[in-house]
Amino acid sequence: MIALDSFTYTYPGANCPALQDVSLKVKPGEVVLIRGASGSGKTTLLYCLNGLIPHVFAGTFCGSVQLNGFVPSDVPLHDIARKVGTVFQNPESQIFMMRVEDDVAFGCENLCLPGEEIGRRRDESLRFMGLWDIRRKETFKLSGGYKQRLAVSSIFAMQPDIFLFDEPTTDLDSEGREDFIGIIRKLKEKGKTVILVEHQYEDYLPLMDKIIDMEGGRIAKHDASAKKSPPARRALGLSEPPAIALKNIRFGYDRQADVLNDINVMIRRGEFVAFCGNNGSGKTTLLKVMSGIFRPRRGDITILNIDKPALESLVGRVGFLFQNPDEQLFAATVEKEIVFGPACLHRKTNVDKYLEIAGLQAKRFNHPQTISRGQRQILAVISIMAMEPEIIILDEPTTGLDDTAWHKLIALLYDYVDCGGTVVFSTHNEKAAAFAGRKITMYRGRIVSDEISR
Amino acid sequence: MKYLDKETFLHRLDPRTKILAGLMVAILIVVLRNPPGLFMLFGAVLVLFGILRPAGSTIKAMTIIMLTTLIFTMTSQGFFYAREPRTVIFTILSPATGSLGNITGGIELYREGIIYGALQSLRLFSAMLLSAVIVMSTYPSDLLLGMESMGMPQRIGFIITISIRFIPSLAEESKRILLAQRMRGLNVKGVRGWFRAFYRLLPTLIIDSLRNARRIALAAEVRAFTGKRTRLKELNFSMRDWTFLGIFFAGMFMLILYQVVWS
Repeated sequence: MIALDSFTYTYPGANCPALQDVSLKVKPGEVVLIRGASGSGKTTLLYCLNGLIPHVFAGTFCGSVQLNGFVPSDVPLHDIARKVGTVFQNPESQIFMMRVEDDVAFGCENLCLPGEEIGRRRDESLRFMGLWDIRRKETFKLSGGYKQRLAVSSIFAMQPDIFLFDEPTTDLDSEGREDFIGIIRKLKEKGKTVILVEHQYEDYLPLMDKIIDMEGGRIAKHDASAKKSPPARRALGLSEPPAIALKNIRFGYDRQADVLNDINVMIRRGEFVAFCGNNGSGKTTLLKVMSGIFRPRRGDITILNIDKPALESLVGRVGFLFQNPDEQLFAATVEKEIVFGPACLHRKTNVDKYLEIAGLQAKRFNHPQTISRGQRQILAVISIMAMEPEIIILDEPTTGLDDTAWHKLIALLYDYVDCGGTVVFSTHNEKAAAFAGRKITMYRGRIVSDEISR
Repeated sequence: MKYLDKETFLHRLDPRTKILAGLMVAILIVVLRNPPGLFMLFGAVLVLFGILRPAGSTIKAMTIIMLTTLIFTMTSQGFFYAREPRTVIFTILSPATGSLGNITGGIELYREGIIYGALQSLRLFSAMLLSAVIVMSTYPSDLLLGMESMGMPQRIGFIITISIRFIPSLAEESKRILLAQRMRGLNVKGVRGWFRAFYRLLPTLIIDSLRNARRIALAAEVRAFTGKRTRLKELNFSMRDWTFLGIFFAGMFMLILYQVVWS
């Protein structure tokens, strides 16, 4: 039984509370979804349940939290971990050991259980999570979906009654996400209590016993607010030569296997194209071929009228946004970040204009790594736009963004296309793909469908 | 040099046995001064290396490294050997040839120098090969477990585990950052370009690692990490280990005895 009674919490140094007057009851075995925008207090709520608040994050609170009869603030964190397991968003940072089976044992070892018991629990957990066959594999070689499954397995071995999930599938593709629903179902069948925070929750709805909407640190009484729809787009001109033309493209990282197999695709200037498909379908690889990062093994490639272009000949004309914005911000201030690309190319740029488009005027002199996740993503995109490329290619640009940042990004790209730019992006998010004028689906290195919508 | 997932005699040894054997070889390397003794030591380590049946590419790489080192040390020691007595076997520039000979003191190849160089490399190779044997036959976490049970604090062991675990991720990340810089028009060619890229890469990499470290810390907290742990894998020092250590120790004793009698 989880019970919060008019609980209010303020982070140290913050002016207003992150959680306000939250009352909540969850019965054992219930599966609960918490949804809401970034900053609505979803994650904070989980931290109150797993004891990170107040054991790691101090701050002030009033009201009460009760978990299966104990109060988290009175019990040391490592004892709470016996009852409450937490799986976070980033699969990479939840794995501690080099081998799958060692990582599953890690939590139990911390509980100081006897060796035999650890072995028994580890094997049970590996089988339950379907990791038995890869138990001796090295963890860094796993795909995102399997890494996340491993994180659950590691928690499962500690045998908590309550499982907390903080956006566990944000970094996963649709296959990984479907897989994850299976995991939640299994936990439910085992009678575990599950509390799930997730942006993309549609697929989970049938499993849910209860849905909680959060807004500004409170539990909202009404349904989630209706989504703003993005502005409509202009039609594209078909007379110009194509921006990207690929013919019979083959590519592989090694001699044995082709990652891309006989790809034929033509993208016109002014198009807005989404590439969909699961991890391993080759969409990221294809985007890298289109931007000159990889050179195809066979086939003809023409980008902006250059045949078989080298990376250097496309710099400044084709912009590429990698998945993680944090790896693409190098400058000391937001302003310098925007100027970075144009300066390298000896071009002039209107910083004020781009700051305004990005809505980052107030952050002009901040360090790029100190602004919020959504703002960092927008800044990374704007920094590429400032180079005034003719094509922008984005790899999974919507990952980890909340609705606000998400719509901002789409609006930016629409404006760019309206000014004659071409956008190509990959996504495993159906919602994001729907915004594109053309949706190309890939499966195992081939294009299986190519639809033009609207 | 990486762990080989095999089932050899050496894999089944307790990590502590291998650490102790490593220490013994270290002692021998310092103590032994006679060529036959050093040869026998090298031979013994080579046999252990052979038991692992390493891949052809590993053997090739090792041979190339060892031969280069050998040739380099032998020549450099040959020319610069300063201790007496020394026998000249080849003269490039005699000390008597005018002012040049005067300045350089003559450039001559000494027999004792070549032998000394060869012996020095032999010492180095024994150490190198044995570390290779230990690394290839012991899973990293088992090696740490061995060290922990020999008195290394668990916290330090954990720090080392985590650092090793994240090396591949860091390498990947650096590659991505570098690529992102190039796509933004940074010229990374040449030494200056390399410095420019590095100067930009480091802060990004560090900030990202710190952010990641925070996430790792939270994940460790919810997995009840306190620094005190029990281990699933119990090390057991079996008869096999005692035998191995016994033979190793006897060998060491004989080699030292041989040196005492021989000199």
